[in-house]
Amino acid sequence: MLVKLILIAAVLGLFVAFLRSKPGVRIQAGKRVAVVLFAAVNIYAIVRPGDVSAVANLIGVGRGADLVLYALVIAFLMGMLNFYVRFKAVDQRFTALARAVALREAEVVNRERFPDDEPHGALAASGSGSRPGDPEGS
Amino acid sequence: MIIPVFNEASVVAGVVEEVLQTFPHVVCVDDGSSDHSVPEILKTDAHLVRHPVNLGQGAALQTGLAYALRRPGAQFFVTFDSDGQHRVEDARAMLDVARDGDADVVLGSRFLDHARDVPALKRLVLRTVMAFSVAGRRLKLTDAHNGLRVFTRAPAQDLRITMNGMAHASEIVAYLARRRWKVVEVPVSIRYTDYSRAKGQSLLNGVNILFDLSMRQRGA
Repeated sequence: MLVKLILIAAVLGLFVAFLRSKPGVRIQAGKRVAVVLFAAVNIYAIVRPGDVSAVANLIGVGRGADLVLYALVIAFLMGMLNFYVRFKAVDQRFTALARAVALREAEVVNRERFPDDEPHGALAASGSGSRPGDPEGS
Repeated sequence: MIIPVFNEASVVAGVVEEVLQTFPHVVCVDDGSSDHSVPEILKTDAHLVRHPVNLGQGAALQTGLAYALRRPGAQFFVTFDSDGQHRVEDARAMLDVARDGDADVVLGSRFLDHARDVPALKRLVLRTVMAFSVAGRRLKLTDAHNGLRVFTRAPAQDLRITMNGMAHASEIVAYLARRRWKVVEVPVSIRYTDYSRAKGQSLLNGVNILFDLSMRQRGA
């Protein structure tokens, strides 16, 4: 069963290549080309299912529909991974933002609660430019 | 002393008061609690940092560290769980080890001395996680998932916890191994009260931790 090897290798290879890759213009373009190609091949498969079946037979898959299904599984996995990685990146930015907000608010609140504590020199200098006496937001 | 807090209104004030008797500088990081944790903390003399939304314990620790690092004169940074499972005496003993200059980072371990206090199933799972952890083996650690840690200033400044959820514990160990800080484990005992048992992380969460970590190590 040649196809099993091909499919498994394809899945693993894409998986690794995908995770290893640093996000960049080339990867971005590669992804888009892949999507277009995938759509084009699908249209071709719809128009001429016989050809797909022939290819399927050639590499050892039973029917053309099976081949399309396998391709879909791979595409689906790649899509999921893509979203996972992107979600992680967004999540990290979101965390950094929330942390900055939390720290800024905390400096103000805790300075009011413990006025005896000497303020940090650098902080006092950078913080004095912002709105004075901003009360706790929530 | 950094205490991440998420929905611990019933115990947090007691825990903080107990800690304050030994450690004068405490910062509680409220991780977007939906209960009365915030007013409970405000009743105490602990500093409060509030995440505007829930981000996870790892994120809370990083925020607490960032806040504590800005305090003038802070040299040692202790992380402490808010559910009352840690003992202040243990934190004190760990801090002494760090003060003596014997270590850059001191980690609490449930398994060095007091292993019998840990429920059997939990012990098995935690040991298994350690067996899979390359970094943990390199440092010869016995317990990677203990919330009680002491950092000196340099590693605290250098540490970047990116795993917001529970995987941060393994991330910290991996970081310590990578940067070759001098790490010492000190035996601590855990108060497995009914409360902390009910709150403790589900063992299934280990699956999530492993997945998050494996994705991260692939450069994701």
